Amino acid sequence: MTTDSPRFRLAALGVVVLSLFGALYARLWYLQVLDSNTFVAAATSNQVRLVYEEAPRGRILDRDGDVLVDNKRSQVIAVRKAQFNRLPDAQRAAVKARLAALLAIDEAELDKRIADVRYSQYKPVPVAEDVPEEVFIHVREHQADFPGVEATSISQRSYPNGTMAAHLLGYVGEINDRELAGRKVDGYRLGDTIGKSGIELVHEADLRGVAGVQKLQVNSSGEVLGVPLAVKEPVPGNDVQLTIDLDVQRLAEESLVQGLEAARSLVDREEKKHFLAPAGSVVVLDPRDGSVLAMASFPTYNPADFVNGIKPDVYRALTDPASHYPLNNRAITGQYAPGSTFKLVTAVAAASRGMIFGKTTIVDQGSYTVPNCRGEKCSFSNAGGQSYGRVDLPRSLTVSSDVYYYTLGARFWLERSKYPNAMQDAANAFGIGSKTGIPLPGDKAGVVPSPEWKKELCKRVRCVDDRWFTGDSINMSIGQGDVLTTPLQLANVYATFANGGTRYEPRVAARVLKSGDPGTVVREEPVTEAGRVDLPASVRDPILQGLRGVIDREEGTAYYAFAGFPRGFPIAGKTGTAQVRSKQDTAVFAAFAPADNPQYAVSVFLEEGGFGGSSAAPVARRILQGIAGAPPGPIQLGTGTD
Amino acid sequence: MATLTAPSGVGRSRVLTRQSAASPWRHVDLSLVAAVLALAAYGLLMIYSATKVRLDEQGIDSTYYLQRQAMFVALGIGVMTVTTLFDYRMYRDYAVLIYGGTLALLLLVLSPLGAEHKGQQASFDLGPFQLQPSEFAKVALVVCLAAYVSTLREGVDGRRMLGILGVAGVPMGLIYLQPDLGTTLVFGAILLGMLLIAGAPARYLLALVAVVIVAMVAVVQLGVLKQYQIERLTSFLEPTADTQRSAYNLDQSKVAIGSGGIWGKGLFEGSQTNLSYVPEQHTDFIFTAVGEQLGFGGSAVLLALFSLVVWRTWRAAALARDIAGTLMCVGVLAMLTFQIFENVGMTMGIMPITGIPLPFLSYGGSSTLATFAGIGLVLNVHMRRFT
Repeated sequence: MTTDSPRFRLAALGVVVLSLFGALYARLWYLQVLDSNTFVAAATSNQVRLVYEEAPRGRILDRDGDVLVDNKRSQVIAVRKAQFNRLPDAQRAAVKARLAALLAIDEAELDKRIADVRYSQYKPVPVAEDVPEEVFIHVREHQADFPGVEATSISQRSYPNGTMAAHLLGYVGEINDRELAGRKVDGYRLGDTIGKSGIELVHEADLRGVAGVQKLQVNSSGEVLGVPLAVKEPVPGNDVQLTIDLDVQRLAEESLVQGLEAARSLVDREEKKHFLAPAGSVVVLDPRDGSVLAMASFPTYNPADFVNGIKPDVYRALTDPASHYPLNNRAITGQYAPGSTFKLVTAVAAASRGMIFGKTTIVDQGSYTVPNCRGEKCSFSNAGGQSYGRVDLPRSLTVSSDVYYYTLGARFWLERSKYPNAMQDAANAFGIGSKTGIPLPGDKAGVVPSPEWKKELCKRVRCVDDRWFTGDSINMSIGQGDVLTTPLQLANVYATFANGGTRYEPRVAARVLKSGDPGTVVREEPVTEAGRVDLPASVRDPILQGLRGVIDREEGTAYYAFAGFPRGFPIAGKTGTAQVRSKQDTAVFAAFAPADNPQYAVSVFLEEGGFGGSSAAPVARRILQGIAGAPPGPIQLGTGTD
Repeated sequence: MATLTAPSGVGRSRVLTRQSAASPWRHVDLSLVAAVLALAAYGLLMIYSATKVRLDEQGIDSTYYLQRQAMFVALGIGVMTVTTLFDYRMYRDYAVLIYGGTLALLLLVLSPLGAEHKGQQASFDLGPFQLQPSEFAKVALVVCLAAYVSTLREGVDGRRMLGILGVAGVPMGLIYLQPDLGTTLVFGAILLGMLLIAGAPARYLLALVAVVIVAMVAVVQLGVLKQYQIERLTSFLEPTADTQRSAYNLDQSKVAIGSGGIWGKGLFEGSQTNLSYVPEQHTDFIFTAVGEQLGFGGSAVLLALFSLVVWRTWRAAALARDIAGTLMCVGVLAMLTFQIFENVGMTMGIMPITGIPLPFLSYGGSSTLATFAGIGLVLNVHMRRFT
């Protein structure tokens, strides 16, 4: 048998054929016997898709249970882009035509809605919301005609009070890569909604709930077959009840807007033009436990704009400097010179260190000259140029004598061996210079200037001189110079004074309530003491008397602003007018009431709003008048030089 | 009595010449017939189980494919029978006519008379049926090559080999133009097998294989193939690139077979099958329906049936009375073996993916009829080994 014999060649062919069959058997053995488990697992996961449904977020309620943030269910027709765009061109065009006809819109409009950049590829794009029942049912019943289209019911944030408390409540949005990075373990997925700011952010874990999962059997085209294999219903998020009082919040916001409007009618005598009053903030605290009753910041934004993603032009407008940053919550992020409202702190510093007593008087001749001074600026005048004559502690606050506080401020520095760091210590004790601890993002610390602080500062920025001068103390004593507080801090200063010296961490959330069962408290948010200010009667009484005089006495700087205020609701307060470089003055007012049994502490800041007594005090008055149970009425501008 | 059981073993045909010819019908290879009928029945069951759920879902009669394939099988049995009626040597004598007719059909299908389906200009639309001449051309080529080689008295040298290549090359080229790469490759396998048995010098055969490999590489590199063809052909080399559509097909196919395990998931119980994860499952990927539903057991039985058919064909080649008969059997053997190996191999990821039907199992009229015709040819040679 040679290699050329047909028999040999047939045998060779037989061997080739045998080995080919052998190879098939071997491979078959490997796939079906040796490695079968791998493929069984793959086949199982093949047919099952997990479809997640986000849980409805918890609601946000005010202290009385009024709903501030709710969810609304909306029947939508949505397009699943991933599936829709993969359809063959002809089929996609047909589906589009059918859908456009059903929704009674033209195809160009439909295209535009599908292409809406606000929606990611992970979420179905709603092309029609709140659709009529028959449209909804039509899509469901003729699903085969609408591949890539679904009729579904979605839960969205809704805001029954519009923009009310927008800064405090915050807004929600689609989770971004950065946010997702640390949260995958918590079950977040691309496309999920997450709190972006305010309470929505801070209480994300309470509000979010647990997503539901449907285990669906699908075929290779992704079409769902039969009933779900397993369904885990979403667990709605818990409700968060705030310390906010919706009525007070409304009063505060209305009054702020009206106050700014009224301030714009006033003329700045220095610049000979109307005040611009573009922005401002109001905070109302309960001095008894630090609860925030109202927190307003103007300009504001509409959190509903963020639902389903914010439109680019709206976002651009919100971040345009010309709009004065409506997204900023000025109540906690705005840092302002407190002006004369700081005199409370200076007074406490001087009285508690024994520099002055209730009866101590200083003669105010309209200006104060620094002893032994050989500098450029040795003389400091009262803001309005008046002279108040003999001034004691109560009257110094009532009339807001700068000279009185200049004297104290100068002495603090000149006699610093005797009263070391007195103003700074008092300011710090009242919470200025450190964050209030309010559980909201962006809380700022403010500034308490000191010789060390100035040295540090001058390492970073150019200073004429990095030494601390008597003038620095003088400026600081009236809340000028470099003292900065947030509106919340200032309200807390007055709340601390009002309650006798306990400084609380301001709180916004009172408790977390079980979803669907508001009677069950999941968690009480604690009342936390942040510090104490020692306020013996010898210190507190004359100051309180002076603060009441601001409102009650005719020479008080807020007397006219509170003219005609209902009796039986005594108020203690202080005006402030803070100079700001290259800007018009900030109008400031801080108060608490009732003066003998304080339940409310208020701070008002109006940027470029003029005098505290003329613009800011009327805002507080309107709020307190409403709280006192009288109709708040329109803003009545006051008069005054401070 | 002259009716002995069929002799077995290579070489005994010559000593058994005394077993002269009563009727050829007394020498029909019944085991081959039985194996083929068993395969066809197996195919019907698989086509039904692979399409039932999907058709039910679409609201179409779930026996649609089953009925059509049953008709194809019935027709195929008829074709097989008719093929055995006439002495195969008559086919040899009419080879030129058969060859001419085949070329004419292959040319015609490329003309506007032919219809395009899935990018291939490969069939004639005849009412509810499609006729694919390339399927019949495979069997025709077997007959024509056998006829041509049997006229060469002095064996196959280089020059004559070129002639053989020419005979095969023209229809191959026409089929490649459709473009139908898979069928072209089947032609190559037939050609190679027949050249081997025809006695072509081993070095020429090796050279031919080398040329084919170089040509394949060149074709892939030079972009003669469409991108999807290249991807399908090469995806088995990098099975992890599962993002590609072609690799997806392969993955799903392997998952279907692998998840069948030893005894399978049972008829109509295959999730991969029922949920249409495997593409072309009742045609090119029918083996996955076997693997998933009937497991290693069912697949092994199927391969055993194929082995039986191939063995009986090989045996017929060995027993054939003349070189023409041997070559005809070898041609059919090469065709069947290549199609089985390529088709089953591709579903398991050891061969590139090309559109080649699995004989008797895959749904399809033309391929079923042509395969039965091929078996008819083998039966023909076998039953006339004494006449």
